[in-house]
Amino acid sequence: MNAFAYVRPKDLDSALSLIRSTPKARFLAGGTNLLDLWKMGVEQPDTLIDINRLGLSQIAELPDGGGLSIGALARNSDVATHSLVTERYPVLSQALLAGASPQLRNAATVGGNLMQRTRCYYFYDPNFPCCNKRDPGSGCGALNGFNRIHAILGQSDQCIATNPSDMCVALAALEAKIHITGPSGERVIAIADFHRLPGEQPELDTTLRPDELITAVDLPAPADTKHNLYLKIRDRSSFAFALVSAAIVLGIGEGQITSARIALGGVAHKPWRVPEAEAMLQGVKPDRATFEKVADRLLQGAHAYRYNQYKIPLARNVVVRGLLAASA
Amino acid sequence: MAMPDNPTVIGTPRQRVDGKAKVTGAAIYAADVKTDGIANAYLIQSTLASGRVIEIDQSQAEKMPGVFAILTQRNAPKLQPLPEELSANGLPGESRLPFQDDRVYYQGQHLGVVIAETFEQARDAAASVRVRYQPGELRTDLEGFAQQAIEPRLALGRIKLQDKRGDVDWVWANMPQDRLVDAVYSTPIENHNPIEPGAALAIWEDQDHLTLHVSTRGVDLTQRVLAAAFGLLIQNVRVICPFIGGHFGSKGFSWSYFIVAAAAARLINRPVRLVLTRSQMFDSMGQRARTVQSFGLAADETGKLAALKHSTLTHSSMVYQYTEPAGALTRLLYACPNIQINHRLVQLNYTTPCPMRAPGEAPGIFALESAMDELAIKLNLDPLELRLRNHADKDDSEQKPWSSKHLKECYDHGASKFGWSSRNPHPASARDKDGRLVGWGMATAIYPARQEPAAARITLANDGSVVVQSATHEAGTGTYTAMTQFVSENLGVPMEQVRFELGDTQFPHAPVNGGSFLTASVAPAVTAACNNLRDKLISLALDGPAAPFTGVARGDLVLADGRISTQKKSLPPMALADVLSKTNNQQLVAEGEAGPGDAYQKFAFYSFGAVFVEVRVDPDFGEVRVARVVGVYDVGKIINPMLARSQLLGGITFGIGMALMEGTIPDIPTGRIVNSNLSEYHVPVSTDVPPEFTIEFLDIPDPNMADSGARGLGEIGIVGTPAAVANAIYHATGKRIRDLPITPDKLVGV
Repeated sequence: MNAFAYVRPKDLDSALSLIRSTPKARFLAGGTNLLDLWKMGVEQPDTLIDINRLGLSQIAELPDGGGLSIGALARNSDVATHSLVTERYPVLSQALLAGASPQLRNAATVGGNLMQRTRCYYFYDPNFPCCNKRDPGSGCGALNGFNRIHAILGQSDQCIATNPSDMCVALAALEAKIHITGPSGERVIAIADFHRLPGEQPELDTTLRPDELITAVDLPAPADTKHNLYLKIRDRSSFAFALVSAAIVLGIGEGQITSARIALGGVAHKPWRVPEAEAMLQGVKPDRATFEKVADRLLQGAHAYRYNQYKIPLARNVVVRGLLAASA
Repeated sequence: MAMPDNPTVIGTPRQRVDGKAKVTGAAIYAADVKTDGIANAYLIQSTLASGRVIEIDQSQAEKMPGVFAILTQRNAPKLQPLPEELSANGLPGESRLPFQDDRVYYQGQHLGVVIAETFEQARDAAASVRVRYQPGELRTDLEGFAQQAIEPRLALGRIKLQDKRGDVDWVWANMPQDRLVDAVYSTPIENHNPIEPGAALAIWEDQDHLTLHVSTRGVDLTQRVLAAAFGLLIQNVRVICPFIGGHFGSKGFSWSYFIVAAAAARLINRPVRLVLTRSQMFDSMGQRARTVQSFGLAADETGKLAALKHSTLTHSSMVYQYTEPAGALTRLLYACPNIQINHRLVQLNYTTPCPMRAPGEAPGIFALESAMDELAIKLNLDPLELRLRNHADKDDSEQKPWSSKHLKECYDHGASKFGWSSRNPHPASARDKDGRLVGWGMATAIYPARQEPAAARITLANDGSVVVQSATHEAGTGTYTAMTQFVSENLGVPMEQVRFELGDTQFPHAPVNGGSFLTASVAPAVTAACNNLRDKLISLALDGPAAPFTGVARGDLVLADGRISTQKKSLPPMALADVLSKTNNQQLVAEGEAGPGDAYQKFAFYSFGAVFVEVRVDPDFGEVRVARVVGVYDVGKIINPMLARSQLLGGITFGIGMALMEGTIPDIPTGRIVNSNLSEYHVPVSTDVPPEFTIEFLDIPDPNMADSGARGLGEIGIVGTPAAVANAIYHATGKRIRDLPITPDKLVGV
């Protein structure tokens, strides 16, 4: 871990001008991922811009009546237990509580969670020679290495890492909007466009530019608060990353599915959604055979490696069981 | 031995005497020790698994803030090779000394150390050091190099690794297929992962006198290693370790890091602290090697074992030949006339392995007890019934009677507590309300008992306090408490008046903390010291001009409640302190020694147990949860039921971890560990501990063990449990998993 400068701006403008003037700086929120990566030598910022004095920790109803705005610095534990979240977006509360440990959730923020980096072993340890994400052009150690936790969808031969976040999977199913402030003012990115697939540039996890800062996450008003859930499969009962997870948000009226959104975690470089698969649920009655077809459509094109073959049947089972449980 | 006067302390539940110090932070661990002028060290480690170092470029590191010096092969002191008794092949630890040559044998090997003012400065500078290598042949694939295996004779200098009796081959060739089990079981590399990492603080008083505060389970052994390596007189090396934050088999023996700390302190002439990081705990202090175990079982028409063959393929590092003795107890757990055990060892570019949590027994009994389950299914016998039919009435491997064995009572009692008799033998026949498959499995547990030579010194002061010293260890298991109980019981003084001191080479010798033999070894020495003190004290009370109990018969004096008294004469009781004062003594000192007696030639000493497990398996997801455990153990006399239960709770939980999640994973192309952290190396969390946990002890003293009849219970909990879990998973699902850990990927869609 290198020596560094530490600054703690009091307002957003100062934070943004600091990041512009110190391109090797990093924003510090909860620090639960950044400090880890720093100690490992993956991150080596010369300046730490501590944004914890910027406010940005509100959890408040949107003026549209029904939607919710969550500040980028709201702590994961505060979001998970907030009554507006547990009542309207149980899937988000469940996803947050399925992640990490109470201590980590107390420190980790919503903005930081959006920026969480992969747990790929070959990325996390710079003493592994090959990682295109950490060191573009150096190859992918996971491709022919121990790839049990790696992607089965949307990967490239440059990178088969997965996004490790539970929260982001729920946000994807909730179609959250990410509010960002940068040098040219504010912009909003749909969660589906926030994380990216590795393609030829696996070093880029998101579409956030280096001089921008996440300020808030907006959730649209829920259509239905009953029929949504987060399902996570892991190697032990707590404090383990998802092997596969699913966030399912259904609208059900008069015994029929009126809307459906399914996001998968642990399978791709970003939360994985397939609109065509979700469309198959429109207007149908909940039924296992349909759910199995939806799962197959979601996993169409899945490709596994030596150690992660299990993820394809596991993801299928997670989707089917998740849909059965959410629609019950 | 005189009967204790206060027979209510041993065998009763007592809270830890060191508990408050630990939870308040008052307990001082090696890394906590403060002294003036401490410099901090950080290791420079190899990032290549095999080859030679061409150049260590430290030019940038030397200029970095706070850096005092960098120690590498270039400026390392010439260390003396360790003598045979500390370095013979098969002994645990790594006797290759640091920084003496340019060879690289595994990833993470220590190549140098940066010494700086602060830990952070040292770490930062170490990260800037660049090492150029000449790569060598890479050996990381156990099966791929199996044809180069050697067949070592002994593990730990005493455990037979190649053995046979009868004619296994003949039986095998003549037994019908439906009475044979022929299967391969495997266990992964595992790391001990105690919560306290390795830590050392080296202080040289002068060129010839070294003190090392270190987290070790062998202060005397560490002293010998340091004295040998630096060519010092043994009495000029002092090693101190009053608390160990767990070791589970690591932290003994010779490891590079504490020698490096001593060499670094000598180089800069200041105290040097070297604390390992979590990641370094995976490559700097041993690990359990992977095992691939081929098992053959044959049974006759009555369900009795006719032949048993167990061949283990495992690995050590390139510099040492420690062998995980997985087959050792296959020789004797069941009655079987024809047995063949074999161990093959491949030297690979991985760090040096060493004992870990029931070395040999844990992986070996997993294989044996899984194979027994498979045999029971083949023979259409209840798994418990198969074990009863093959009960060993003596130790057939050494042709000795058991010192004491009540395994059948463990089976009976455990089965009844668990409700085993209502088990439906058909697999995949039960589901819970959530649709999860329910399975029941069981296994036998066994662990050898031993006594090693030990000594203790006891001092009674004229303020009534009793201080007892022995160079033994507190690994978190309760040594302070148990030994205090022995002193309290033997001298009739309240536990509060007794202070037990340990972990210092200036105290009388005690063995390493391992092999579950601490209590069986040290308690008899403590008792002997107490008895000697009592004799001296009674002499003071009876003899001499100022003696307070003149004229009383020796046998009529009683020590109880911190006082000496007699019923025979109308003399008032007298506090022990007053006996000293009245006779003008400041203090009274006695020593005691104990060691294994003739019984060890005559009998086979083993602890036994039976463990029953209920699992729930989600058939879609492959997630396994242990819902219920019943373990019944025959471990001799129980000294402290509260702490004994805690140890078994921990041991069985280790077993659950071994069964379901633990595993160190090397990257085969580089030999580097991919999960050297507690985020990705999974140990059980509190919610993995089963909600229903029954642990019982038969509490039958072993008549042939010295002193109290306690045989030892440190490691038996992890033995048997992994097989019981695997057998329960088979019963739940109908799928046999022979490769640990049984993670969801192996069970998805069962």
